[in-house]
Amino acid sequence: MTTLLHPYDVTQESDMQSPLDFNRRSRLKHVDRTFKAEIINIISLTEMEKLFQVRIMDDYYRSKFSYLPGQFVMLELPGFGEIPISISSSSSNKGFIELCIRKMGSVTTMLHKARRGAKVGIRGPFGTHFPMEKMHGHNVLLIAGGLGLAPLRAPIFNVIENRSNFNQVDILYGTKSPKNMLFNYQYEEWNRIADINLQVIVEHGADSWTGPVGMITSLLDDVTILPDDTFAIICGPPIMFKFVCERLTDDGIPMHRMFVSLERRMHCGMGKCCRCNIGSTYTCIDGPVFDYWTVMNLKEAI
Amino acid sequence: MKYLGIDPIKPKIAVFDFTSCEGCELQLANKEDTLAGFLNAVEIVTFREISSAASDDYDIAFIEGAISRSDEITRLMDIRKKAKVLVALGSCACFGGVNRMKNAYDLNQANREVYGKIAKETLPVRSVKEIVPVDLEIHGCPVSKAEVERIVQHLVWDIPYTQPVYPVCFECKQRYATCSFDLGQLCLGPITRGGCGAPCPVGGLSCWGCRGPSEDPNYEEFFRIANEYGYGDDEIEERLNFFGGFEGVR
Amino acid sequence: MLHKTINKSEFRKLVDLLMENEEVIAPKQIGSDIKGKAIHQYLPVSTFDEIDLDYEITQYSAKTYFLPYCENLSTCTFDDDDWTQNISYRLQPRILLGLHACDINALLKLDKVMTRDSFPSPYYVSRRKNTFIVGIDHEPCEGGFCQAVGADVVTHGFDLFLTDLGDRYFVAINSDRGFNVLSRVRIKNITQADTKAYLEARQALAPVFETPYMHNLPNLLDIEFESPVWEKWGAKCLSCGSCAMVCPTCYCYGVGERISMDCSSSYKEKQLYSCNLLDFASVSGGHNFRAKKETRLKYRYYHQHRGFSETYEEPLCVGCNRCGRVCLAGINPPEIIKDLQLEGIR
Repeated sequence: MTTLLHPYDVTQESDMQSPLDFNRRSRLKHVDRTFKAEIINIISLTEMEKLFQVRIMDDYYRSKFSYLPGQFVMLELPGFGEIPISISSSSSNKGFIELCIRKMGSVTTMLHKARRGAKVGIRGPFGTHFPMEKMHGHNVLLIAGGLGLAPLRAPIFNVIENRSNFNQVDILYGTKSPKNMLFNYQYEEWNRIADINLQVIVEHGADSWTGPVGMITSLLDDVTILPDDTFAIICGPPIMFKFVCERLTDDGIPMHRMFVSLERRMHCGMGKCCRCNIGSTYTCIDGPVFDYWTVMNLKEAI
Repeated sequence: MKYLGIDPIKPKIAVFDFTSCEGCELQLANKEDTLAGFLNAVEIVTFREISSAASDDYDIAFIEGAISRSDEITRLMDIRKKAKVLVALGSCACFGGVNRMKNAYDLNQANREVYGKIAKETLPVRSVKEIVPVDLEIHGCPVSKAEVERIVQHLVWDIPYTQPVYPVCFECKQRYATCSFDLGQLCLGPITRGGCGAPCPVGGLSCWGCRGPSEDPNYEEFFRIANEYGYGDDEIEERLNFFGGFEGVR
Repeated sequence: MLHKTINKSEFRKLVDLLMENEEVIAPKQIGSDIKGKAIHQYLPVSTFDEIDLDYEITQYSAKTYFLPYCENLSTCTFDDDDWTQNISYRLQPRILLGLHACDINALLKLDKVMTRDSFPSPYYVSRRKNTFIVGIDHEPCEGGFCQAVGADVVTHGFDLFLTDLGDRYFVAINSDRGFNVLSRVRIKNITQADTKAYLEARQALAPVFETPYMHNLPNLLDIEFESPVWEKWGAKCLSCGSCAMVCPTCYCYGVGERISMDCSSSYKEKQLYSCNLLDFASVSGGHNFRAKKETRLKYRYYHQHRGFSETYEEPLCVGCNRCGRVCLAGINPPEIIKDLQLEGIR
């Protein structure tokens, strides 16, 4: 008996056989293939957050891996789960990426126990990025609240490494209390760069705290804003970026020149699982970086 | 056994039975293909069904059964003092279980009915959490070994565990089953916590609610539906009270 | 597209031949409900007599053969501190026999998401390409509103499509493998009489039931975002996800991982999820973007009738009304859409 139907083997498609091209979405690929990556350093930031430096082990794929500020990866602990994490390091960095992770659920709790040398999985990078090139020749406001400094660090590095491309640069960061501050060992370095104004504020002070106390928006009182010449990047909890964006709108910055990063619980990163769906918008494909005008028009975004 | 270079906690486990059928305990000793791994992941110090050894030095106490005598209360409080983590195992421990039906009757009458003239000391049935704080509940009559294993894994690695929040219907539909209501049976699937894989409705017996309520169940609509399908309030009431997980919802 | 006719006895021979070679999935009556109505499902069959091609509608769609409720995405084996990931895709061909136009249209919509859009899914592509599809025309089914969403007619997405002409089938051939398979039995070229009979048969299949008025639905949904209609229907929702499970197009899912008790292996499992389930939009830290029943119900309709339309110029819904039939609470698209239209007019 001859075969009536011939088996179809998707892996024989040319798209599946050629090496994976990062940041290309249109091809049929081993979409659930995870790149093995080694944790090369773990840096304790606070009681709740650690920074993981992670390096893709395969030399070829590591050399091919590239990303833009604002993008995220899916980080997998095989057997425990996979979570979306925004890339916190400079996009010019080719050797490894940095992921700032708060201990919350089962995957992150497990990850917090991991030691240097542990092998994790990476898929990605996914999502949209902050349009840094558009901001060239303009003033840039980089504003973060709480854990928002993790995704904001990528555009901060971009601005510092290309400082001559931007005019006035202000970095504003606010947390609940001094003990929640992330990356505080880097503030001095950033502050010492001539022409970068860094200001930090806490909602609730502490005995050791000598800086300002209040809401992040109060830091804007001391910043000269040229509404026609300013871009803003705001990362933080929805309530925080809503207040900041409203304030900046009052100051006259057009909504399409303010960029925020939204957080949803993605399960795929590829616009399939719908878990990050906001109306008809996929946070993983159309975001996580959106301009504020788009966010305002997304019902349920905030 | 290591994972990513992380050593698991090998917790000392003790299993205790109270007013129950010991079926949930039996589930722990079941499932031969993974039993070796299970026994390797933990150190069992007290478990009457598999060993006569007993020790007072344990981290996790699994409590099976409901509480229905004063000596059980004393014993449970003593276990609570010794255990770092106390797990209620099965519907009896979680809600009082089938035993709880007794509470609807006069205690003496119930006593006479069961023991005749030789009456035993007995109290209204209570769940474990009505006596001592409970850290984790594993629902089901009996519990599913697969679920117990998942929870034990979370305990072994000391990571938070989240229960399924959806009702039984969801998994019933994932198994391509026909709705029990359509087949002429009252079913608690729409309000009962899933995670069991819906073995009963898939096998032809509608859900009796052994796992207790799902998160945020829509009781009002459920009662309306049950009435609409011709089930009287008494019948619904009886079904709700069967495992004790729905006490007071109606 | 080529058209031929095949006698019913020859068609039976063809199915027997297919069954000898491959797994055949077809509509099968599995029992009756309390009202005496036949219950059909798409199930594997081993003899022609098990198949009931005159079925009205199956309780579940054929989606599970393309997007399984639970699917192993990858497995991992551990060796000391290292691990290896393995992925495999479906290789075996199979035959799906007796699909109605709505269910084939549903596959065409899923194709848009899974095969042509960004990040095509090799899991879906493998299953889709390894499935030989034979569709069939049918009498309109009660409660269905496929015509209102333009899903009552299908022109591609299948290998063969049958229209019953009494003693024979009018066959549309849409693939070379369809043609090859047909060549194993006796088929006839179509005559003028066949074409006339086909057109008459199609005419007779026009829906006889009232269907909802779907005009301008995407805009209406936008305007009626805060409508009390959602509270009314949301209050009834049991948040059980049954609607999404029987739906031929709902594709939302979640991914979880399981590790063996001895930590020697693990697997990543995709489980279809439903946007009506309580924790669908919960994020790390506990915030739930859709904590209310009515919000979740609303978003199911927004995805089906507005979001998908925005991207693909057509609704995701094919009007089979399986969700309406399965819902114990009686939540169904025709009535919700009618309510929204009335709300809009007021």
